[in-house]
Amino acid sequence: MNEIITVLVNSLLAAGLYATMSYGLAVIYGVMRIINLAHAGILMLGAYATLTLNSRLGMDPFLSLVVVIPVFFGFGVLLYLTMIRRLPRSSGGPSIESLLLLFGVWLVLQNLAYAIWTGDTQSILTRYTMKSVVLLGVRVGIPTVAVFSVSALSLVVLQLVLRRTYLGRAIRAVTQNRDAAMIAGVNADRISAAAFGIGTAFAASAGSMLATMYAFTPDFGRSFLLKSFCIIVLAGMESVAGVAAGAFVLALLENFVGGYTTLPTSFQDALSFTLLVLALVAFPQGLVGAFSRATQRWRRLGRA
Amino acid sequence: MKPTTRTLGSVLLAASAAFAAFSGPLAAADGVIKVGAVLPVTGKESKIGGAYKQATEYAVKEINDGGGITVAGKPMKIELTLLDDTSDAAKSAQLVEQLMTQQKVDVVLGGYGSHLVQAQSVVPERYGIPYVSGGAGARGIYGRSKWVFGTLSPVDILSATQMDFLSSLVAGGKLKKPLKIALLLENTEHGKDYAQGVHDYVKAHPGEFSIAIEENFELNTPDFKPLLTRVSAAKADLFMCDAHLEDFIAMHRLYTQMGLYYQMVTYGARGADAAARKALGPATDYIFASGWWSELLPYPQVKAFNTKWKAATGSDPQWYHALAYETVRVLAAALSKAPSLKPEAIRSALAAVDLKDSILPGGQLKFSPSGQAILPFVVTQNKPGDKVDIVWPAASKTGDAVAPVPKS
Amino acid sequence: MKTRGVFAAAALVLLLAAPRFLERGTLNDIWNVAFAVILASAWNLLGGFAGQVSIGYSAFIGIGAYTTVLLSLAGWHPYATLPVSAFLSAAFSVIVGLPTFRLRGPYFTIATIGVSEAVRVVAAGVAFTGGSSGLRMPAGSFDFQRDYSAMVVLAVLVVALAAWIQASPFGQALRAIRQDIDAAEALGVHSTKYKVLVHALSAALVALAGSLFAINFQYISPNSVFDFRLSLSIVLMPIVGGLGTVAGPVLGALLFGYLQIKLLSSPALRDSYLFLYGGMLIAVMLFEPRGLLGLYRRVRGRITRSFSRPVPDAG
Repeated sequence: MNEIITVLVNSLLAAGLYATMSYGLAVIYGVMRIINLAHAGILMLGAYATLTLNSRLGMDPFLSLVVVIPVFFGFGVLLYLTMIRRLPRSSGGPSIESLLLLFGVWLVLQNLAYAIWTGDTQSILTRYTMKSVVLLGVRVGIPTVAVFSVSALSLVVLQLVLRRTYLGRAIRAVTQNRDAAMIAGVNADRISAAAFGIGTAFAASAGSMLATMYAFTPDFGRSFLLKSFCIIVLAGMESVAGVAAGAFVLALLENFVGGYTTLPTSFQDALSFTLLVLALVAFPQGLVGAFSRATQRWRRLGRA
Repeated sequence: MKPTTRTLGSVLLAASAAFAAFSGPLAAADGVIKVGAVLPVTGKESKIGGAYKQATEYAVKEINDGGGITVAGKPMKIELTLLDDTSDAAKSAQLVEQLMTQQKVDVVLGGYGSHLVQAQSVVPERYGIPYVSGGAGARGIYGRSKWVFGTLSPVDILSATQMDFLSSLVAGGKLKKPLKIALLLENTEHGKDYAQGVHDYVKAHPGEFSIAIEENFELNTPDFKPLLTRVSAAKADLFMCDAHLEDFIAMHRLYTQMGLYYQMVTYGARGADAAARKALGPATDYIFASGWWSELLPYPQVKAFNTKWKAATGSDPQWYHALAYETVRVLAAALSKAPSLKPEAIRSALAAVDLKDSILPGGQLKFSPSGQAILPFVVTQNKPGDKVDIVWPAASKTGDAVAPVPKS
Repeated sequence: MKTRGVFAAAALVLLLAAPRFLERGTLNDIWNVAFAVILASAWNLLGGFAGQVSIGYSAFIGIGAYTTVLLSLAGWHPYATLPVSAFLSAAFSVIVGLPTFRLRGPYFTIATIGVSEAVRVVAAGVAFTGGSSGLRMPAGSFDFQRDYSAMVVLAVLVVALAAWIQASPFGQALRAIRQDIDAAEALGVHSTKYKVLVHALSAALVALAGSLFAINFQYISPNSVFDFRLSLSIVLMPIVGGLGTVAGPVLGALLFGYLQIKLLSSPALRDSYLFLYGGMLIAVMLFEPRGLLGLYRRVRGRITRSFSRPVPDAG
């Protein structure tokens, strides 16, 4: 029983981390059907921004979010206005042009980082980096708990925004049907800009927090990017709560396999990728989509 | 479809003209030893690759400024052609090939990074041109061609040295046998060789050591929790891991947060790095590491090198600077004994060279029959207050080993 | 058709005769470009003609390379391994394609990334592939003249094949699938069958290139042949050159080959090669998604229009 609790707690915390790095990707995809390959680059820049704020101004990484979030929101909007908006809108589905454009942006950001900070391995050490706390009998590091807390907070805030504010409803409208939303009077262009800004801000803040847990170089973000893909696919690519669920499923699988089987842990990555492919093929609508359809069917059965 | 053909045609013609324009024979010069080098100056390995470039150029300059090398009575200067392979293995091999066939160099200095050097090392055999690498310790590279030499000792000797050190602690009463080892390896050639050294030692010393658990992990693993959870369940006494810097930092942070305790902890060659200290603070205390070189080695030639290097570059030399520098030096030593600049002459001179005031551990640099130098490693241990001590071998000690690691 | 045949033969003769009057360094460059041309053109069959973008092609290069090296180490003549590597790669593409071709657009693309990465991790973790240390070809199996000729011949063949497919009914079906898969199905085109077929053909060609790569470089490792960045650069070339055309991938391959050479010889450019690639991608995507070829045609269209003579659209 103790072991199961350990696996659950560890999975939950890892899920917080994974979800954090995936929200940004999910928002941008949901609204614009764009797969943001620059996500990894923004993540990396967020980490470096926090590094600079920490080393030059002594700012605590979590405090630096106050600076990072608005700055990168603006950066995201700028990116949208100067580049994304110019892309030809493909008929309905997502385009390969956006994918490659953003890949190009990622390369440029990497070069920028190499030029400014060199390829040296960087890290941030704070008073609490090495400390730990005991949760439900499991010893966990403080940065991990902090990251989880911020992630949970983000989820709540994001859900509130999506359900209670005009912006949120507009985002959901555009996500469901762009043309219909426009007919209903939504300025899809502005909403897209805002969504891109939000997605970028989330990515950067994820980077900031990851900087408290990992050492990084301008190459940082690539391994997270691939995992994030897996998660947003599991989530159905359109639901934010789904991202949290998808992250949890992935983390649970990893910890379970790591703890109870003798499969080499170096296959962890292969595991997530296989899961990704299976999820795409078996649940094209993602876990949440499959879940909601299943519940709909239950309800219909109940009524009959 | 004519326009397609025309397009294709004009494009290809233009391209061939451009290619032809790039080729051009290079004139040979007298009184000059042509040395080629291919290093990852940019790209993933650029940090250390760039350092190798810096140290190689420094060493060549030092030799040339000192009058060059006398080969068969004739004084000659070194002409260095250093190319960047952008950390790409295929390009690396092609550049070595180019140096040998087009620029017609007399000898090639190999690059840095096992996968890059692996790719390069298949080339010398084809053209019969000597090749000396200061940047790869994987055993699999050497022994296949008589033209390939390397100054980095094999990684399995690194772990064997660490096992020797641990044995000495048992003999000295600081640790009690039998000791169980938790062995964690990165999924690369480096990790494989490290594991080999440990396995061989354990087999040769039954009753003293045993391996309680052995796990591989991918480079840049995002979450080490499952791995470390599995490892801690195996209840071993010693923690031996071979990892790159980023993984070392991520793993040891988790190790500290989880409150794990092992009597001795090592991350292979990591531990004493300044970057590690910066990232982990006092958590790095008492970690022991093995390196190909340490600036703390108590030889006069090392102190001289440290001073020279600091004066020339303004910072302390790291092991990669020392290795690159020494590789050039041993080449120069061999060249000065060679009867001519013919490939076979240079090769035999390299096979027979014996550099007696080497800055590397042991103070002597020569190549084994496989072409790889088999030199001792030093074991350093971090001490509180950002101090580092060489704790093994006894002849190079600057301080005593602390074992077992004090519980915090 | 005849002009094309003559042209292909002329190109082949020129390239095969090159070793007689070009330096080794230049020959290496041509070899690199030929390799790139094969990859780009083969990818374009699926990605350009049929419109299914896969970012997982490094898996096929790897399968080709490893098949050749493993069989050579078992005693086979390197060139005898080529049919086997093509077959295995095609077979793998079918196994992967059947489930994933049910997906549309970027979902398919993401699935391909997943498959390719999984293959890489497994190759690095399993013992018989030599694990992460990679494998070497048996000694004495190197012959640059032979390997150069093989790569060049394969490159010309692949481009000729692409041109032939484009003009054939098979190519028409692929184009229909790219433009509107539902309409194509309604017209009786069994889209999955065609996708799987062209994917298999494409994978086989790429595997052949991978085998030739292994034979020439003599050393392969999972991180070099199964690299994600390799997959990305394979996609880059046809896109920048002109997706869905025959000359486009060739153009893209030449451009990147040229850039690689230029980069190595200029210190200023070396540190900014990421800027260059990224900038190029951005520029192409923003201003001319049909790539350089599209740009050329646009410019040419304007010039001919400015002479106010009606020109039949010879697209």
